Amino acid sequence: MKEYVIDANGMDEKELNRTIKEQAKYHDKLIIDNPDSKHNICAGLTEEVEIEINGSAGYFVGTMAHGPRIHITGNAGWFAGDNMTEGELVIEGTAGDGAGQGIYGGTVIVKGNVGSRTGEIMKGGTVIIGGNSGFMTGLLMMGGKLIILGDVTEDVGESIMRGTIFVLGNVKSLGKNAVMEETTSEDQNELQEILTEYGFKLADKDYANFKKIVNMQ
Amino acid sequence: MCGIAGVIYKDKKTHPVGEALTSMLESLQHRGPDSAGYAIYGSLDFPENYYQLNIEVKRRRGALDNLKSLLNQISPIFEEQLIESVGDSDVYKCKIALDEFSLLKPCINEIDDLENVRVINGSHSFEMIKDTGKVKDIAERFNVSSRMGTHGIGHTRFATESGVDRYHAHPYQSYIIPDITVVHNGQITNYWKIRDPLERKGHTFESFNDTECIVHYMADKLDQGYKLEEALDQAVIDLDGPFSILVGTPNGIGIAKDKLGLRPGVMVETDEIFAVASEEMALHDVTDSDEIEQIAPGETRAYTI
Repeated sequence: MKEYVIDANGMDEKELNRTIKEQAKYHDKLIIDNPDSKHNICAGLTEEVEIEINGSAGYFVGTMAHGPRIHITGNAGWFAGDNMTEGELVIEGTAGDGAGQGIYGGTVIVKGNVGSRTGEIMKGGTVIIGGNSGFMTGLLMMGGKLIILGDVTEDVGESIMRGTIFVLGNVKSLGKNAVMEETTSEDQNELQEILTEYGFKLADKDYANFKKIVNMQ
Repeated sequence: MCGIAGVIYKDKKTHPVGEALTSMLESLQHRGPDSAGYAIYGSLDFPENYYQLNIEVKRRRGALDNLKSLLNQISPIFEEQLIESVGDSDVYKCKIALDEFSLLKPCINEIDDLENVRVINGSHSFEMIKDTGKVKDIAERFNVSSRMGTHGIGHTRFATESGVDRYHAHPYQSYIIPDITVVHNGQITNYWKIRDPLERKGHTFESFNDTECIVHYMADKLDQGYKLEEALDQAVIDLDGPFSILVGTPNGIGIAKDKLGLRPGVMVETDEIFAVASEEMALHDVTDSDEIEQIAPGETRAYTI
């Protein structure tokens, strides 16, 4: 595997993204040191490359990405993975508001807690949150799967149209247009498959405890 | 869009707060290019009833002489410094003595009546530094990195309303109680609903800037006996619009985020410091900790020493 290390110290975000795009053509894996919470890292990246961000990213990490597998060892700011169409974004720490918002495809995983409006207007793909999620989780959701392993606060699934929200923890309240259903055995099998693939270890009985939230029609 | 940053050291000792805030604000420079400012607490070690005045003086013949002549009628001038600034004015800094705090605002009003001068602020326990331009330039102009303190708040401004000048740069200060300052990212949409009752109580407003409204609101609440956390909680209930408010007092800092979380705010607390900022990158300038928390919509956090 051909690796390349980019030291982002002193680079502005455009310079960093230009370097990432250029080096992604020639390498299988890019390691970004000193990301210093810069915004828009990997914005619009379309190479199928592995990216290791050693530290935290700012707003819009991986926005409009199509193909890369991005791993962040620290936290991410608002709108992580925004409008992603294909690929993978894994955040070991926490993320801000709007994690996975508007994704069409691919998978966004945040191991820790996230802010509000997680998966807002997402149209496809999968968003997995290992911790808790704030209010209006799944706001105006139009497709895809949003899986929360912790608790969610007010108005989950506010104005949801399509897609499914699964919550393992407590749900404080449902939004307008949202209804809670029992999970089917197919749902439980699918959850087990997805979560196992991404290294989440749940007890078998937990899969039956997921709450399923969908559009009330 | 504006950038806010604050840091407080838990050991109550003085630290290079000026340097810490400067690096935080430089990381937030992209959020506000117009102007920047600081309130650095614990940097003035003044005896009781001594105050520092920061006064904008236009480069006009006689302006500084007239100012000094008036100041000498009010109090002896103990220390003074003229700092060259941008535009057609400089900043005159001096130390004076008054019999009590209640005389500070009338003293400021009297100076403001002079032509070609305007008081930026008057303070006892903290130093206010604010000007137009980039953080780096302002920090160099006022030698901010040399300022030691126990805590402080700072701001980079992207003006969305009222003028872009030294006076409209944040922090804003209220004289309802001593040494309270506010920096703010956002807009207050029920401005008049907040301002009218404060004016009916006799508090005077100098501008139509919504941050000035917030600082008077906070000062009024603290004056009524609210603790900093309680006043911030009440602010979340009373103020409408998108906002992240950061308040500085002589013994603490506190942040409040609007109910919908429409403006950013993150915080970190370690054994040594409590720090807040608009964006995480500013917190990395003052701590290596990864325990950075999102401030939730409607949440308030404060730390007092």
